[in-house]
Amino acid sequence: MSISRGCRGLLVTALAVTTGCGAAAGERGDAAAAAATGFTYALQRADGRQACALLAPRTLDELEKPEQTPCAQAVTEERLPAGGAVRRVDVYGGQARVVLTGDTLFLAHFPSGWKVTAAGCTPRPEQPYDCTIKGG
Amino acid sequence: MTPRFLRENGLSLAFGTGFLLALCGQAIAGHADFNNALVSDGMEPIGLGAYLTSSDFAVDVTENWQSEYLQFFLYIFVTVWLLQRGSPESKELDKAGPESDEDQLVGEHAPADAPRWARVGGWRQAVYSRSLALVMGGIFLLSWLAQSVTGTAAYNEQQLRDLQAPVGWTQYITAADFWNRTFQNWQSELLAVASMVVLSIYLRQRGSPESKPVGAAHTATGVEG
Repeated sequence: MSISRGCRGLLVTALAVTTGCGAAAGERGDAAAAAATGFTYALQRADGRQACALLAPRTLDELEKPEQTPCAQAVTEERLPAGGAVRRVDVYGGQARVVLTGDTLFLAHFPSGWKVTAAGCTPRPEQPYDCTIKGG
Repeated sequence: MTPRFLRENGLSLAFGTGFLLALCGQAIAGHADFNNALVSDGMEPIGLGAYLTSSDFAVDVTENWQSEYLQFFLYIFVTVWLLQRGSPESKELDKAGPESDEDQLVGEHAPADAPRWARVGGWRQAVYSRSLALVMGGIFLLSWLAQSVTGTAAYNEQQLRDLQAPVGWTQYITAADFWNRTFQNWQSELLAVASMVVLSIYLRQRGSPESKPVGAAHTATGVEG
């Protein structure tokens, strides 16, 4: 797991608190990675209910909206790519990106923990990731 | 604090207090603004404590600090050589440069109550002779570095919220966001200095040391009221 290069390269201890770098980022990165892998493992087991419990509210709403399908059913029908092992975690403030061997997920921090805001994401040059599920 | 202490330190006390009040105002307004953006993006608002330790607050503070210290560093340093006829912000027109030891009261010309490093020669006098510009310039560079570091984190938080890849520090300092924040502060500081230099040629503020005496000629240079 790697924390962003920007954080690693700068040994400005006094600024660590405000940049989200340092030891705290490691714990936050671990928690974000755990939420991301928890989400993908739940989908592997076809456990839509558990996967939905790890979705951010707006992402969950967007998933249910088109067909008024319950989240647990809609999320398993999306056929998101298998996640796999964690390759990289970036955490800045209340936002995180977790790159797995098979997928990239974006997460946001809520009082109840890290929640997936977007999944099934593939990078596009000079543009936001193209994500299968995401908030509005 | 005695009335005498307050009278003799009114300038620093007033500006120090004003700074703290303005910083509190920025913290409260910035917190509300940040939370408005979070809620609009479907995120949970954060507490004031979390905002005060966030990169978003830090970059907003440091980008203004660096430009203010740059302004005063330049003013202190550039006015050694550059002059402006008629401005109380300029030295007299024949005094460009670091001036003589006699003019600057250093070494053998130092009075009994001169700072010790002004009396002694060598590196200590050389450093002390430039200490104001060195410290102001140093704070500018540190604030600018802090802006770049906290700006990277704030920029990346927004990037992730927008489902975009974060960038490293070296990428950020060549990014439009960094230079937009930098130049928008620099231009306003340089405008304020240029305005002060020129307007103080023709306009007066009775009793202010930043102005010439009210009756001084427009051509009088290096005269403060």
